[in-house]
Amino acid sequence: MIIVRSRRLALGVTLLASALVTAPVMAPMHTAAAEATSGQSGKILRVGVTQEVDSLNPFISITRTGTDILRANFDYLTVYSQKDYSVEPSLAESWTTSDDKLTWTFTMRKGVKWSDGQPLTAKDPAFTFNKMMTDETAATANGSYVSEFESVKATDDYTLVIKTKTPLSTMLGLDVPIVPEHVWSKVTDVGAEPQYPMVGSGPYYVTDFKEAQFTKMKANKNYWRGAPKIDELHFIYYRNPDAAVTALQSGQVDLINRLTPTQFDALQSDPNIALNNAQNRRFNEIVINPGAATNDGTPIGTGNPALKDVKLRQAIAQSIDSKKLVDAVWGGYAGEAAGYIPPAFKDYAWSPPADKRRKFDLDAANKALDQAGYKKGPDGVRLDKQGKPLNLTLLAHAENNVDENAGPFIKGWLADVGINITIKPVSDTEINEATTRGEFDLAFSGWNANPDPDYVLSLQTCANRPNAEGKGGTPDSFFCDKTYDNLYKKQQQELDPAKRADIVKQMQARLYDQAPLVVFGYENALEAYNKSTFEGFPLQPTKGVIMNQQGYWGYYGATPKGEGPVPVFGKNGENTATGADTTNTAAQDSGSNTGLILGIVGGVVVILLVGGLFIARGRRKTADDRE
Amino acid sequence: MSDILIPTEETLAEAPPPTRGGGAVRYVLTKIGGGLLSFALVIVLGFLLFRVLPGDVVQTMTRNRPATPEMMAALERRYGLDLPLWRQFLKYVGDLLHGDMGTSYVFNVPVTQKIGERLWPTVLLVGVSTLISVALGLWLGTRSGWRRGSRFDRVSTGVALTLWSTPTFWLGMLLMAATTGLFPTAGLVYSDTPPDFFSQALDIAHHMVLPTITLVAVTYAQYQLVMRSSLIEEMGADYLTTARAKGLRDDMVRRKHAVPNALLPTVTLVFLHLGFVIAGAISVETVFSWPGLGLLTFDALRVGDLPLLQGTFVVLAGAVIFMNVLADLLYRVLDPRVRAS
Amino acid sequence: MTAPSPRALAWRRRGTAFAGGWREFAKHRSGLVGLGLLVVIVLLALLAPVITDRDGLDVTKATGGSLDPPSWDFLLGTDRAGRSVLLLTLWSARISLTVGFVATLLSIAIGTIIGIVAAHYGRWVSGGLMRITDFFLVLPSLVLAIALSTVLERGIGTIILAIGLTSWPPAARLVRAQTLTVEARPYIERAKALGGGHLHVITKHVLPAVLPLVFVNTTLAVGSAIVSESTLSFLGLGDPDPMRPSWGSMLRSASLDSAVIVGAWWYLLPPGIAIGIVVLSFTMVGRALESVLNPRLREG
Repeated sequence: MIIVRSRRLALGVTLLASALVTAPVMAPMHTAAAEATSGQSGKILRVGVTQEVDSLNPFISITRTGTDILRANFDYLTVYSQKDYSVEPSLAESWTTSDDKLTWTFTMRKGVKWSDGQPLTAKDPAFTFNKMMTDETAATANGSYVSEFESVKATDDYTLVIKTKTPLSTMLGLDVPIVPEHVWSKVTDVGAEPQYPMVGSGPYYVTDFKEAQFTKMKANKNYWRGAPKIDELHFIYYRNPDAAVTALQSGQVDLINRLTPTQFDALQSDPNIALNNAQNRRFNEIVINPGAATNDGTPIGTGNPALKDVKLRQAIAQSIDSKKLVDAVWGGYAGEAAGYIPPAFKDYAWSPPADKRRKFDLDAANKALDQAGYKKGPDGVRLDKQGKPLNLTLLAHAENNVDENAGPFIKGWLADVGINITIKPVSDTEINEATTRGEFDLAFSGWNANPDPDYVLSLQTCANRPNAEGKGGTPDSFFCDKTYDNLYKKQQQELDPAKRADIVKQMQARLYDQAPLVVFGYENALEAYNKSTFEGFPLQPTKGVIMNQQGYWGYYGATPKGEGPVPVFGKNGENTATGADTTNTAAQDSGSNTGLILGIVGGVVVILLVGGLFIARGRRKTADDRE
Repeated sequence: MSDILIPTEETLAEAPPPTRGGGAVRYVLTKIGGGLLSFALVIVLGFLLFRVLPGDVVQTMTRNRPATPEMMAALERRYGLDLPLWRQFLKYVGDLLHGDMGTSYVFNVPVTQKIGERLWPTVLLVGVSTLISVALGLWLGTRSGWRRGSRFDRVSTGVALTLWSTPTFWLGMLLMAATTGLFPTAGLVYSDTPPDFFSQALDIAHHMVLPTITLVAVTYAQYQLVMRSSLIEEMGADYLTTARAKGLRDDMVRRKHAVPNALLPTVTLVFLHLGFVIAGAISVETVFSWPGLGLLTFDALRVGDLPLLQGTFVVLAGAVIFMNVLADLLYRVLDPRVRAS
Repeated sequence: MTAPSPRALAWRRRGTAFAGGWREFAKHRSGLVGLGLLVVIVLLALLAPVITDRDGLDVTKATGGSLDPPSWDFLLGTDRAGRSVLLLTLWSARISLTVGFVATLLSIAIGTIIGIVAAHYGRWVSGGLMRITDFFLVLPSLVLAIALSTVLERGIGTIILAIGLTSWPPAARLVRAQTLTVEARPYIERAKALGGGHLHVITKHVLPAVLPLVFVNTTLAVGSAIVSESTLSFLGLGDPDPMRPSWGSMLRSASLDSAVIVGAWWYLLPPGIAIGIVVLSFTMVGRALESVLNPRLREG
């Protein structure tokens, strides 16, 4: 019976195995040439993302992917233009400000409909803002924008009046999704998961959300700018970035971003993939703890006190070779470090003049440290003024391509000038915690600058330091410098653009000199899409990025192959297209796929041989073994 | 699978001694009681352990946006983080008895809902893999044990040992590399699969191939080895020699006596290991982005999502405890020395 | 000629037993091969600073191209920073083996102590300790190890602690069972009757009888510990120092550097194969030892 049973078992196993194996044959094929069509009809854009959506509730979501999706679902009062981030009217057609700059009157666009056909009126933004001002849950994601609002009223269907407590420069950049009042006024718990389909005013609206798997959106046929060319937009989550690349190669997705240089290069040889290497608005930096303190001056944290010495910081800055990092960490897909504001913002970007420039020079750094009084100890590690060895920790974001690869270089260079670095990769949560508490010596950091530099500049002011409870600030390097602060106030009030730019450049010079942070590169955005299924996507700004824009142009203007050209959106959303599109980087020969297969097969054979050899050498037969 | 120290044949020495029929009820109650006690300890341990994790959630949630102190205080209030530790614990236990495991910090949904969403992919993956592993292991073990020393025995044992010695995640990576494009390497289903049951089931099966093969490859070996050695031990038993001496045919001997008796320790082992495999599926789920409980636990650990962590920990450990109790009860039922009396 | 002292007799007896055991062990070719491989690998790991230059691990001094396939200069190719994969694999052996050994020693030590104490003192002590052992046996040890590694400072010490603290239960159960068997023997009763205290009985009688079994278990457990270390390192919880790689962290780097996409098999295969060989060798040796101790498993 047992034999029969085990035969049955064997049969069962075989059947199951064959079912699993034949499944791929019977399952729908997803080749690069096939177009993705939905169950019902039409074109689908499938986007691969590697960051999980935290929530799709417009009041709660703060992740990049979440906000990207929400930007496609809900339109805004004003948007940043596709071409150059300039402010353009969107749901608000025009606006006026009172003389004291405290009252803003927006005239809403007429004829705008929600995706369910209801008209969009001033009642909707009024409801949204008031909800955020009264319900603390609703203020989770974007509450800071309304914190200085005094009142918001819809005086009639198309007039919105906002009174603020102080003059606000952010009024034309309210990054707040405007929700439909007729849907959300009925919701009892505003922080709960929203109902799908999520009624929206943007080019798409969410119809399905499977956490850790995908988000599905449908085109909004009622969109006031006109319906998009595609019918559905899917965001598919890949925890493993390599899996997203493989998915693109095998046609399972059409567009991916946040590629590492290695992945980007590996895709060069694929004839079906178009690549986009775009200058971005991000700067990457190492912050050095210059003596963290609260905003009233009380020291906090565990930073090494030696770092208060500007000479030490400058020596550290001199020991970081931005050019080498651009090559080794970013494979060339980044800009070499200069000033605080990324070169993408031409008006404000600054570069140190030749005589002030700190070139990468380990000998010079060594000399400077010798002169500054940091003698080398017996094991080569320098001693600070108290005789303690300079053992510093460098906080890094675990699994972040930049941090993981740049860290060892920085460790190696600083070791050569006598500073011992211990790299501490920690989760994003921990690094935020530690930097806010001042519990770091060095840390990797970086920010996306905005067209208006005010926010990133404010990060380095004294006022941006947290209060005694550790809250109320988003500190970066805990820099607190009178000169810098004075310049900051000046630029905030300077209305002449040229004069303002000049002040901003002086601020950057000060940062460079005092070295509380070391900018080591401006990483490009690396994206790829399947050009056999899609013609292209509108970039923001011109020659910019497709995904994670300050807007929805990329998704809105997605053009399937054969329905080209790719739109270019001007003021009021009209299409001024004839191309000006993505760049195709030249195809290179890599072809190590055969090598991989051979290697894998070879490896498995080796393993089996080794294992078999062990066994073949052993076990002598005994009398009982005869069968 | 050798990601964690697996109890092998040695642990089976710790089998509960056979008792007479009357002790059965007491035995069952003891085992269940023991299980409940362990479960209670798990809850306490889970609560304390994760409170020690570094991380101030509110700070993190408000990092990328300028946040006012009022907002932060509101968030703290919302999650009950402003209460003293013992009160948080009591609240937790009270809620737990009502089936409420709190709300996830990161996802803003009830923990029970999150776990519910992620439980069945893990159960599916682990269940199917275990079935295949056990079947494969038993069959190979029987065959190689019976023909001890033969080439089949040597080769299959060698392959089993080799596969057992390699890390799960590495095998997964190799499989991914070797089968590029043939099978999906991430997720549960494609987003554009038609929603009818048949297509979805087929799509899930398609996605399940690689993770299942990986998990099977590292787990079947232990079943094979245990089956083999317990069969060998059985075969040396006196009663078998007697049977043979009496002239009974070999395969009758095997079928009716040796294999069923050798099956017992293996079956118990299966249950014992089921719990470990669930936890060990973390490796496979991470490599293949399989949206299951293991992956959820790992991700929650990295972010410090306390309620979610406590929930998954309790569920995982609870599952293992349950399996163990089941194994003990099953052993009692299957032990021939008890059945015979 | 005077009669040899009892101690000399004891040692001679042990010597003969050892020689006999070794002869039995040597009958297993697989065990011999395993042992041989281990000796070679351990030697190579120990001699690494002598036969190679540690500077090769420093990325700022790397001379190779990024992810280059094997060449005469770099027999196993290079990693993303241009370091030699062969060098990395060799130096990783030091960390991986160290963690494997020490973590196992820790877990075996804990397990042995608990097992002996539980069996020796019996009743309440035994019940309590066994309840604790069962509890730890039931906890998903990988989850526990991950949690510990997240809480404590990243590094080798933490991994050793995490593995050691989560893998002792099987050893405890085994030792307890064996101790019970040993203590049931008549000579133990005699020793106690002669006035032997707990410590005496344990150290002079129980331990020598139990240690061989513990030794076998240790050999098998080291393999598991090495795989655990590689898993924890792969998940990102290992030592982040780039100058102290382990096989697990090499595989992590390979994974993060998209080795699968690029097809860098020279980066993916060596660490995994190395782990496989080492663990397999330990298993072979362990199984050979098992049959030395357990005559029923012998095959000839």
